[in-house]
Amino acid sequence: MTLAHPLANRLVPAATVLAAALVLASCSPAATSSDTSTDAGTPVTGGTLVYASGDAEPTCLDPHVGGNYPQALVASQYLETLYTKDADGKLIPWLAEDSTVSDDGLTRTVKIRDGIKFTDGTALDAAAVKTNFEHLLNPETASSTGYLALGKIDSMDAVDATTLELKLKTPDNSLLESFSMPWVAIESPTALKRTQAENCASPVGTGPFKVESWKKQDSVNLVRNADYVLPVSTAAHAGTAYLDAITWRFIPEAATRYAALQAGEVQVIDNAQPDAIAAAGKVSTIKHLDAPRPGASNRIELNSSKAPFNDAKVREAFIHAVNVKASIDSLFFGTAPQSFSALSSVEPLAYSEESLFGYDAAKAGKLLDAAGWSNRDSEGYRVKDGTRLSLTFPVSTSQSIPAEQSLFEQMQATAKESGIEIKINLLDLSSWYGDLAKNDYDLVSAPYTKVGPSVLSVLFSSASTIPAPSGYFANHSQVKDPALDALLETAGSTKDEAERKDLYTQVQKKVLEGYYVLPLYDQQNHFLYSDKLKNVGATTAVATPTFFDTWLAN
Amino acid sequence: MSILEPALPSVDPVLNPHTARKARPGGTFARQIAAHIPWVVSTAVLLFFVLAAIAPNLLAPVDPLAINPSEAFSAPGAGHLLGTDESGRDIYSRIVHGSRASLLIGAAATGIGLSLALVLGTIAGFGGRWLDFGVGRILEVLFALPGLLLALVFIALAGPGVATTVIAVGLTTAPGYARMIRAQIIALRTSPMVEAATVLGRSRTRILTTHILPNALAPIAVLATLGLGQAILWAASLSFLGLGAPPPAPEWGTMLSAGRTYLVLAWWMTLFPGLAIVLVAAAATVLSRSLKSRGPR
Repeated sequence: MTLAHPLANRLVPAATVLAAALVLASCSPAATSSDTSTDAGTPVTGGTLVYASGDAEPTCLDPHVGGNYPQALVASQYLETLYTKDADGKLIPWLAEDSTVSDDGLTRTVKIRDGIKFTDGTALDAAAVKTNFEHLLNPETASSTGYLALGKIDSMDAVDATTLELKLKTPDNSLLESFSMPWVAIESPTALKRTQAENCASPVGTGPFKVESWKKQDSVNLVRNADYVLPVSTAAHAGTAYLDAITWRFIPEAATRYAALQAGEVQVIDNAQPDAIAAAGKVSTIKHLDAPRPGASNRIELNSSKAPFNDAKVREAFIHAVNVKASIDSLFFGTAPQSFSALSSVEPLAYSEESLFGYDAAKAGKLLDAAGWSNRDSEGYRVKDGTRLSLTFPVSTSQSIPAEQSLFEQMQATAKESGIEIKINLLDLSSWYGDLAKNDYDLVSAPYTKVGPSVLSVLFSSASTIPAPSGYFANHSQVKDPALDALLETAGSTKDEAERKDLYTQVQKKVLEGYYVLPLYDQQNHFLYSDKLKNVGATTAVATPTFFDTWLAN
Repeated sequence: MSILEPALPSVDPVLNPHTARKARPGGTFARQIAAHIPWVVSTAVLLFFVLAAIAPNLLAPVDPLAINPSEAFSAPGAGHLLGTDESGRDIYSRIVHGSRASLLIGAAATGIGLSLALVLGTIAGFGGRWLDFGVGRILEVLFALPGLLLALVFIALAGPGVATTVIAVGLTTAPGYARMIRAQIIALRTSPMVEAATVLGRSRTRILTTHILPNALAPIAVLATLGLGQAILWAASLSFLGLGAPPPAPEWGTMLSAGRTYLVLAWWMTLFPGLAIVLVAAAATVLSRSLKSRGPR
């Protein structure tokens, strides 16, 4: 402000006071409502639910192929899993009846439920499940999520019609949790024999709905499975789904999606943005379902493999130099509580440590001075040996919602005050993967959804720094600590639940205290729906909604 | 308002002061003032934004990048004249500080477009039948493709950023100008003045430099003013698509794009940057028309 006018200078304090008064006057806490209770009234059969997704349209409707969240959302309507989570978050058998593991932990026996048929008439049995696992492990399927989840299976054998025996390479106590994910859902072995293109267009499962047609670039049409058999009678009703059909549309633009819901053109939208959720809170005809995803929290990972973050003091300083709380409060309208954990708050074994994270510019300054970053250049950024304290931050515009991008911009502005430069590069997904593969990043935010604490192994073991054949690796903080690896190894194989909890807590402590991650909030997963839609709220283990119990009021 | 001249002379006294004067030789003082209003207003608007571009701190002393999460989404009012955005940044300050980027992009792109057009137009208009034919076909091919598509292809090849935006917009606008310059030069080439010079035995180069180009330049200056508004609009469109200045830069198109997310909640985030773009583009167009009707025939 070298050219600042004296009059203007005098006006600024006055303006600031006025602004503050204005803000105080207009400030009211954003209302959030989450209605997952059973609605009163007699369920009505019939009607078509129109669902508008903000995600990109999947290229394949079979979540075995690749395996991302948009696939899981739609596939949860027509595919079912061996295990699932009940309303209390407890893991329960679904298409499976039971499962036992040998004393050495190397043999797992899965009992498959009898009397269930796929929508093409094929019966569900142990051989069908075996075919599915083989399909997932076959490199030609190009599965990534499901492939990783079943990675410890060495061989399998359908002993009889309802018994599947799995031989494991090493004990894996997360296998049942893995079975609950839609990426490992069970499909008709008859349908799987078709070409991949055919199976991608109309996967066949046991779910309450089936794929009728898929008009690409427009919608997927699902119709009621008239022969549906509910594996476990825990839900409010038996028999088939109330809804005749579901039209699954794709509306990428958030404001358009919300407008379509307001106009009654669609009844459910996903990827609801914070401002829309806040606005919907004031409208009685729109309801809100908040279903945080399991697995990792949404966090920023600090790349410890190179300068400046190979110095733990600089990592600690960075975490204190940014004011995450203020940004979350203003940008998310109370829809996203701040997280202090590497794991999602829905994970029973999540360990949270708030005292490590807090905005403290003075502390950041002291830490940076001590780490040798005491000089400043002409622009006010810290320098050491002629190098500016500059952090490269590739941001994927398809993975970070606008509010999150604004949060990163605010971090950039606040970090500057402590002399840290953040260079935000807004990128499309493939360029973003490219920068990660080239190790051209200091900060990165990447979602990772998985059921159970074993996600910690994916994110923090040394092995995860080695890129998969696709070039992707999940350990973005690139922590390589033999002690941590040993803890993860034992935590993932022990049969003792208490020991598992204790070991995973130690792992999380090490990660948080090493300042490898800056947790932000849970992976946001908000749905808004019309109040004409009753009994919404049931979700799968990965928090994708299911509409078996849902009915549409006239 | 169409960018293209109407086919028939306008009878609107505001749009065409010449006809106004001819039709009413004894026009009152009030009428004369009325005829000048668009010119005065558009000049004032442009002067404001030029001043904003040269000395933004004079008009808006608040740092356009300073965040204040607790003041996010403040409505327009006494504290923040045009409200604040999602990070509590002052919209008025961002628009004023964004003038430089927008005007520079507009001016530089117009400069590039016109320079390229001058070369192409001169070759076509003065280079003889075959060159005219060749350049003419190239221009027609470029005309067949939508301008924005051309700009997008160029950005896809060269990567997004301010410099690429400037070149992309410049390249995209060049064919239109080249055609107009060619027509201008052909008209001058067959004028009595040039015929006289030819009879006197002047060389082609001399005719081009002393007679044709100086006379062609005045209308080009008018074109440049017209093009400025257009180029600013193009640049804002590209920034809106995320291909121009990256956030948090206070570029108008980028601001418009950011505001779109919060259209229902905070309309001022979209309205005011949009208004700035419209004002500058409209002012440049009105000024250019006004200059054209006053300029040498």
